[in-house]
Amino acid sequence: MTALQTVQITRRVDPHLSIDRYDPEGELMLLHFGPQHPSTHGVFRMDLYLDGEKVVKVIPHVGYLHRAVEKLCETLAYVQITPIVDKNDYVAPMTNEQALNMAFEAALKLEVPRRARWMRTLFAELQRIASHLLWLGTFALDLGGALGGGSTVFIHCFRERELVLDLFEEVTGARFHYNTHTIGGNRHDLPAGWSAKVHAALDVIGPRLDEYEAMTLENRIFLDRTVGVGKLDAELALELGITGPILRACGVDHDLRRDAPFHAYDEVKVNVVTAQGGDCLARAQVRLGEMRESVRLVRQMVDGVPEGSINSGKPVKLPVQTKIPPGQVYVAIETPRGELGTYLVSDGTQFPYRLKIRPPSLHALSALPYIVPGGTVSDAVAILGSLDPIMGEVDR
Amino acid sequence: MGVKTVDDGAAFEHPLYRTLLSVPGLTVATTALDQVLTWGMSNALWVFPMATSCCGIEFMATAASRVDIDRMGTIVRATPRQADVMVVAGTITVKMASRVKKLWDQMPEPKWCIAMGSCAISGDFYRNLYSVVPGVDTFLPVDVYVPGCPPSPEALMHGFLRLQEKIRKSRKGETVTPETNSELLRVTRPSIPRMVDHERTPEMDRAQIESADIATEVEVTPAVHASLAPEPTELASNISGPDLPAVLTELGIAATGELGPPLVPARRHLEVASRLKSRGYRQLVSVVATHWVPGTARKGKVPDEPEHFEVSYLLRTVGAGSRVATWAVRLAPGEPVASLFQLFAGADWQEREQYDLVGVMFADHPDLRRLMMPENYDRHPLRRDLPANLPYAPWR
Repeated sequence: MTALQTVQITRRVDPHLSIDRYDPEGELMLLHFGPQHPSTHGVFRMDLYLDGEKVVKVIPHVGYLHRAVEKLCETLAYVQITPIVDKNDYVAPMTNEQALNMAFEAALKLEVPRRARWMRTLFAELQRIASHLLWLGTFALDLGGALGGGSTVFIHCFRERELVLDLFEEVTGARFHYNTHTIGGNRHDLPAGWSAKVHAALDVIGPRLDEYEAMTLENRIFLDRTVGVGKLDAELALELGITGPILRACGVDHDLRRDAPFHAYDEVKVNVVTAQGGDCLARAQVRLGEMRESVRLVRQMVDGVPEGSINSGKPVKLPVQTKIPPGQVYVAIETPRGELGTYLVSDGTQFPYRLKIRPPSLHALSALPYIVPGGTVSDAVAILGSLDPIMGEVDR
Repeated sequence: MGVKTVDDGAAFEHPLYRTLLSVPGLTVATTALDQVLTWGMSNALWVFPMATSCCGIEFMATAASRVDIDRMGTIVRATPRQADVMVVAGTITVKMASRVKKLWDQMPEPKWCIAMGSCAISGDFYRNLYSVVPGVDTFLPVDVYVPGCPPSPEALMHGFLRLQEKIRKSRKGETVTPETNSELLRVTRPSIPRMVDHERTPEMDRAQIESADIATEVEVTPAVHASLAPEPTELASNISGPDLPAVLTELGIAATGELGPPLVPARRHLEVASRLKSRGYRQLVSVVATHWVPGTARKGKVPDEPEHFEVSYLLRTVGAGSRVATWAVRLAPGEPVASLFQLFAGADWQEREQYDLVGVMFADHPDLRRLMMPENYDRHPLRRDLPANLPYAPWR
């Protein structure tokens, strides 16, 4: 870690810089990066204005995966929306379902049974491990095959991610898009002997996190590509609404699991992982630390899941007739990517009048015009990978 | 595509064609050569992943550790120029469709296409929405359909094996028998013209279109679910935090509004925002615009209230005990509201999104362009008086 340097951020980059004013005589090159590019994590486009190899201005273009989810939700009954939002953040579907159903429960003032709360927390933490593993694998791919030759880190991370997916598959029957949360609780109870399998999976994953740290944080090439790249200062991150690991990598100690507890997070102690620097390395450090913390939390909780009902409701004939009182409600949870919120406007019927999903990735991407200029094209790839955007929830 | 028989060859007849046919043993040699070529083609399928969303993750899982399609000579190439098979994995939107077509045209012949997942096959539940292409075979000749949402890695593997079979048989002039499992073919598709494909018969398509009417109806079955307040009588929770009333009192603003956040006069909402920011609400959470149209809300708002917009702003404090403050601004159609960009840089994208989808105007915004829909789109699709299936040529 001797290669750590500090880059002083003197003034904020102008995201709406006029190219004509930059250098009237200079020959700038316009490079279209995406929408189809292996390191855009889906379909995302950046227009990079280049002065030689140096990026002068960035115009991000989103919307290539705009699937009209919010319009679709207005036409669906409340219990039908859960499988729709699964597809938003498709790397962490469990947390999508939680954020949505918690908003409905808050609007209905419905208490979720303690067992269901613990199960949701367990699922969220396991999902965090799976999501960060996928991020680490693809981020290492973005940084080039130099990390251990070819796609070593990618292959390793997917090996462990499958273990987590197997656990979910045993509970819900699906590898992802689980549709296991519903209004008032969960649909699927934990099968017998599940906690032993969780411990067995964590016995594999836990020690391998050390391997990943050795492969990345002690790798000279990894450090060269990440240290001081994409520096984001805390004040700008807050203004942009950036949350989650990216904000914590700027040194801001903020995590909704601890600061606005939901589910069972008020019954366990969550250690918030932060890092200093706000660069790509700090983001990697935070995510690797969070995986350890999640392993610890799951180990702590999995044996103590309380007995009882998993759904607070009594059986009804027509679940699609669920009505929510008129009013507006906003509920947010901490997903692997940050604050995922649901803003619900209800008109008293069984359909939402307006359902706005507040995705953490959209806010993360809005930092690109500030942090990419000044770097090179290869830095742009590293920065984009370190933000961990999921285009499904960016565009919705 | 298509099978070149001797009859087809007559159209391209070369002067030397008949002469060469008369050379003894040459036909045997070319048949042998053709078999070698077929063997090579079907066992070295280089894949270009057109991965846009959730199916892309399962595609990655297929290429990664557990399933590992490399075993059958299937290597993932990120560029169309080095690929034989395009796997369309994920939803294709109208904004993306022209790019997919362009990439398909860049692939050298011979080439094949696999539609992976319900979205690529038929658009899935997004198929009637304003921004989604109902099936990629409306503009690409699809060879193999892999159903699922998303298909498991094993299903995609099966798809590759069927493609290999198709290549081998079609080069010998034989036809490929379609899947015999009728459950796999129960995919609902809207009645729009498809590219000619070899496996599907018109009867099959017709049966599927007829079954689409049944499948789109809501299935109501007696099930165990949350029982919910049958007739709402009280308001949903008021979502503004404790600091907002104090700020409003300080500024001498009498907030109005029931059933939602306090309504602030549009000309004073910047004062509220800056006062909240100085009180520690440093993070911009979201901007949500709702379009209220008389007749569309059954309860919650007075039915004869004139058409108007409500823009809600959400700010958050950072750290322990994090709180959200929410206020709203009510606007007549066409009336602008001052942009929050000078106070919160994140308002840039948030306001662009609401302008794009709902059509609210923001004064003094530095760059008020569409965020999600293409630049030349002429509607604001989240308006309540517009249907979800807005026309978009040539798909609907």
